[in-house]
Amino acid sequence: MTRTPDSRRSNGSASHAAVTGSASDSPSGFLGNTLMGLMPFAVGILLASLLHFGLPHVIPGRAGPYYSRIVTDIGIAIIMAVSLNIVNGMTGQFSIGHAGFMTLGGYMAAFMSYYGSMYLWGSAETHGGFLGSGEWLFVLSCIVGGFLAAGAGYVVGLPSLRLRGDYLAIVTLGFGEIIRVILQQTGKVIDSAEALKAGGLSQMIPPPVGGALGFDDVPKYTNLFWVYTILTVTLVVAYRLKRSGLGRAMISVREDEIAAQAMGVNIARQKVLAFVIAAFFAGVAGGLFAHERGVILSPKDAGFQRSFDYVIMTVLGGRGSITGVMLAAGLLTALPEFLREFEQYRLIVYALLLIIMMLVRPQGLLGIQEIWDLWPCRRSTSLPSSTVATSATSSPEAR
Amino acid sequence: MTKPPAITTAEKKTATGSEALLDINSIGISFGGLKAVQNFSLQLPAAGLFGLIGPNGAGKTTIFNLLTGVYQPDCGEVHLASQRLFKRPPHEITAAGIARTFQNIRLFPNLSVLDNVRLAGQLHNRHGLLSTLLRTRGYRFEEHLLQERAFNLLEIFDLQDRAHELASHLSYGHQRKLEIVRALATNPQVLLLDEPAAGLNPQEKKLLALSIQQIRDRFQVAVLLIEHDMPLVMEICEQIIVLDHGMTICRGTPLEVQNDERVIAAYLGSGLTDG
Repeated sequence: MTRTPDSRRSNGSASHAAVTGSASDSPSGFLGNTLMGLMPFAVGILLASLLHFGLPHVIPGRAGPYYSRIVTDIGIAIIMAVSLNIVNGMTGQFSIGHAGFMTLGGYMAAFMSYYGSMYLWGSAETHGGFLGSGEWLFVLSCIVGGFLAAGAGYVVGLPSLRLRGDYLAIVTLGFGEIIRVILQQTGKVIDSAEALKAGGLSQMIPPPVGGALGFDDVPKYTNLFWVYTILTVTLVVAYRLKRSGLGRAMISVREDEIAAQAMGVNIARQKVLAFVIAAFFAGVAGGLFAHERGVILSPKDAGFQRSFDYVIMTVLGGRGSITGVMLAAGLLTALPEFLREFEQYRLIVYALLLIIMMLVRPQGLLGIQEIWDLWPCRRSTSLPSSTVATSATSSPEAR
Repeated sequence: MTKPPAITTAEKKTATGSEALLDINSIGISFGGLKAVQNFSLQLPAAGLFGLIGPNGAGKTTIFNLLTGVYQPDCGEVHLASQRLFKRPPHEITAAGIARTFQNIRLFPNLSVLDNVRLAGQLHNRHGLLSTLLRTRGYRFEEHLLQERAFNLLEIFDLQDRAHELASHLSYGHQRKLEIVRALATNPQVLLLDEPAAGLNPQEKKLLALSIQQIRDRFQVAVLLIEHDMPLVMEICEQIIVLDHGMTICRGTPLEVQNDERVIAAYLGSGLTDG
């Protein structure tokens, strides 16, 4: 805030320098900058719709739905692993309750879309076509689920201020189990609009989301378009966070808490922020999962087994490496499908893979690097040297 | 400056009898039965260069930890430019203007040299989550300024060519230097250096002595230095405080300290005679 007058005065030169520094051919000015900021989202949405409409043509016939299910699963797994990576990889905390956030968000979203469409349209069937009103209700539900999970993330993030390593892991593990047990105590699903309208608000306590049997008959809205659109948002957020001051602060907490504090980083704030952001995306991913064809949402999804799957993805991918984690999430979701014939050996192969990984590459597939860092002529992530030279001459005053 | 604070600082000046930027008033801490630091007072003037010496375990680093909020003092007061720094968390103390380096290097090993400096430089940045994620104009401008300042600093210390390397890939001497650069990036009024010469060769020590004085002059910071290398301390410090077992046993100019019997006794005569 205190910088505002200062920045206004020298706006012209600054935006000019920023443009020459980062993207030489981008249009300058407010509109240009805003468009550049939104560009990755547009590209992502485009790719998502290509995938959504293209995949049925590439793989026609009976195998189509099977493959699109796998691609959907991969998308959701990547959202989960990349968001978990904000806590485990970037901030260096150890959370093994990520599926807890996912399931919490999923139940919230399913509750909202199921009873919402029953209330609005009289049945819990899917309503409207592609981008129809039903889908918007579904997206809204997912976002609400995300916010609920983010709230839970805040609560779980608080103990991380006092606990480290294994102890924090136990707290997050406990959180997942608590969610699981609470969901088991919920009421029966109300299966008709008449019953819903006849009963008062009292039937909402406990929430009628199926208890231990699981939440059946959730409208199946999830499709490739929405999964990959939300995946785009997740990736852009994770990448921008990593490259920003906030991301640097998070990584500094991972690297050395004492030094981070001494450099003015509010480590409490960074840890809680990491938990909240990660939980939000887990909650949204839960919403996608809940509305996926062939899925019956059940309390056991919140258990530690599923959480552990995501932890393995982040460990295999590398600490804080977004592309590495994407790769690991994709591989670990797709591979079991292709190893179906050897299903009884699957867990053995998994375990062996992990052991070999830990021995050969303990830092994960890509370590702390991104995939383009491996390229021989690596793209510099910061300003080129020409800008450095001009910046040095422009203001020799360091203070 | 507004009127009321001016009056209070004037009062303070007459009360303490000096123009102290950092005013430490009889702070102390004990760990269980061990009185690590007792009754430590110090008035560090603006752009002063003071040394803090004493045998191992005398409580020198503990004093740094008390000043930077890593430990909370049991008693006593610390004021920085008449701003009370009592029971404040470390990051707020850094923001108020006290920066430090560490005895055992504590860089962020997996961040680049540039990012180490940028991280320290960003503590007054005010752009939050939303503008970061949308990459708003203000946010970009702030990051741009930050980068410019970081490069300026690196250039002053001749580290600009290593800017994109990981901090852990630097040589030991460069890591020591980067620690100082990083501390300066927080834009401090007081710089606490904890054994900056440890592990350096004689040549590097000479350069360090020179650069500490230059830092003081160029950045107008007050420096408080912990160091075991007596020739270095005697050469550059204006005032020296000698600690032993948490007690201040002597304070004065290098010459006075060298000839003090208690100091010689504490060190058993070693190191000071040839300093």
